[in-house]
Amino acid sequence: MRVMLAEDSTLLREGLVRLLAEEGHRVEAAVGDGDALIAAVAEGPPDVVVVDVRMPPSHTDEGLRAALEIRRRWPDVGVLVLSQYVEKRYAAELITADTAGVGYLLKDRVAQVDEFLDALERVGAGGAAFDPEVVRRLLAAHGAQGDPLARLTPRERDVLDTMAQGHTNASIAAHLHISQSAVEKHVNAIFDKLDLSHATGYSRRVLAVLRYLGS
Amino acid sequence: MIATFDVPRGGPRAAGRAAAGLLLAAVTAGVELVLLAVAALLMAYSMAFSRGRRKVPGAVAEGAELLAELELWRLRVFLGEDRAVRYGPLKALAYLVLRVPVGLLGGVILLLLAYGAAAAVRLAVGWWITGDHLDGIPPTWWIVLYTAVAGVVLLFLAVQGLVGVAAMERSVARRCLGPSPLEEYERRIAQLSVTRAQVVDAVDDERRRIERDLHDGVQQRLVALGMLIGRARRAGDGERAAELLRQAHEESQRALADLREVTWRVYPAALDGEGLRAALETVAERSALPVVIDFDVPGRPPHAVETAAYFVVCEAVTNAAKHSGAASVRVAVAGSATMIGVRIEDDGGGGADPGGGGLAGLARRVAALDGTFTVDSPRGGPTVITAELPCG
Repeated sequence: MRVMLAEDSTLLREGLVRLLAEEGHRVEAAVGDGDALIAAVAEGPPDVVVVDVRMPPSHTDEGLRAALEIRRRWPDVGVLVLSQYVEKRYAAELITADTAGVGYLLKDRVAQVDEFLDALERVGAGGAAFDPEVVRRLLAAHGAQGDPLARLTPRERDVLDTMAQGHTNASIAAHLHISQSAVEKHVNAIFDKLDLSHATGYSRRVLAVLRYLGS
Repeated sequence: MIATFDVPRGGPRAAGRAAAGLLLAAVTAGVELVLLAVAALLMAYSMAFSRGRRKVPGAVAEGAELLAELELWRLRVFLGEDRAVRYGPLKALAYLVLRVPVGLLGGVILLLLAYGAAAAVRLAVGWWITGDHLDGIPPTWWIVLYTAVAGVVLLFLAVQGLVGVAAMERSVARRCLGPSPLEEYERRIAQLSVTRAQVVDAVDDERRRIERDLHDGVQQRLVALGMLIGRARRAGDGERAAELLRQAHEESQRALADLREVTWRVYPAALDGEGLRAALETVAERSALPVVIDFDVPGRPPHAVETAAYFVVCEAVTNAAKHSGAASVRVAVAGSATMIGVRIEDDGGGGADPGGGGLAGLARRVAALDGTFTVDSPRGGPTVITAELPCG
């Protein structure tokens, strides 16, 4: 895939460039701030961009704002955001109605090379990838009484949890060591309980669930 | 504000000044007595005819304040009394009412002195020049001695009286116009509230800086380290994997070094164990610039003072290395049982901003200990940063 990086730590940027090159991706730009990234994307949109949230000048949410702008102007470009810690607001901002190709990972996840590469592939292919930690936090915020999520069985919660990370039914089955038909059954039960139509595609469903959680 | 004069205490000049001040005091007291009588009439009139709406008529209020101002100037110039004062028209009036008798008393004593001096001269002239003896008594030696002793005693009493009047002048001014103990306390409390809030701010700033240090340094290194190890694992067990592992190992060393740096910046452990001197020597060792330390502090100052002094030096040296373009830094720390002074001088380009984050934080830290903190950094240098910290 054609990848662009925005990460202010030179050390990490170089590491990412090497890692992606080893995996056979083509890194077309590796920059240190959001404006430079947008300029690079404008030159020729890649398949996916990887953006650190905290970058100069203010070290608050430059990366996120760049990510949102890229989503707005180049909807086909996948965006994988790396965040210092789980910011529910950011996660919710990224998840918009009709988009796929979004990812939100904790920065430290980069060290889990396999998981990071897997997430990057999914986002680049128009899927979704959300950090298990993000999902856990969003779910935890909705454990209150009267919440439809509280009606899910533990198994259904596991399925939703895994699905929300952007996995397909097949990979959910592999993850949880159950059959694919069992996964489908759980998914249907989840959508019934959450009053969600399941006429949409997988990643849409994931985003819908997440949006529901993040609301 | 009138310029203050440096009045030397003691010495004939000061005595002369004081005498002139007292003479002036007597004159102004006479004038003020008349004015106060007029003011009393005005006040009585306004109380009777303004239906109690106004306590002090404007003319009286302004006059009283003006006169009080004048008297304070006199006290400053002639008696060297210079203190912070805060007063309104009522306080000024009270002061004037109380000081008039004091001023008049001074005048009476001065008159006595003048009378005594004149009598002494007349006596001496009569005895030895014109031969016109007072009461027909010839100046036999014991008559002269007896008169001289009596004269000296009277002179002493009069001079003591003047000294007493001067002291009363001061204390009346202080009592009536100076801040009351309650006001002093209130001012102190206000000051403490400000410094307390500033200390909280300074602590928050430092925490933010520590967070940045950890995030920008150590955490990035650890993520990079994890990536290297991850890549090595994906590479299998060939030569490349070995190479990546070697890099990972080096990276882990660097991460450790970074962590050590950050922990040192958070708080130098040496400060607790070995004291200020050892901690400052470490600052000198770690500095990119050559730092000369001149350390002369007997014993160990209180812990809070040591810590503040350490951070002042540390920040100042870091700033000099980062921004000033200096070639070397001189640090002097001198102390006594009651005070520690810190002075950091660099030969750089100057222009340091005392309102900048680091220096402002230091100023707050020092203020919290009731110390003073100054930054002198003209364009073109040199920059001198001083802090004085009271011990206990």
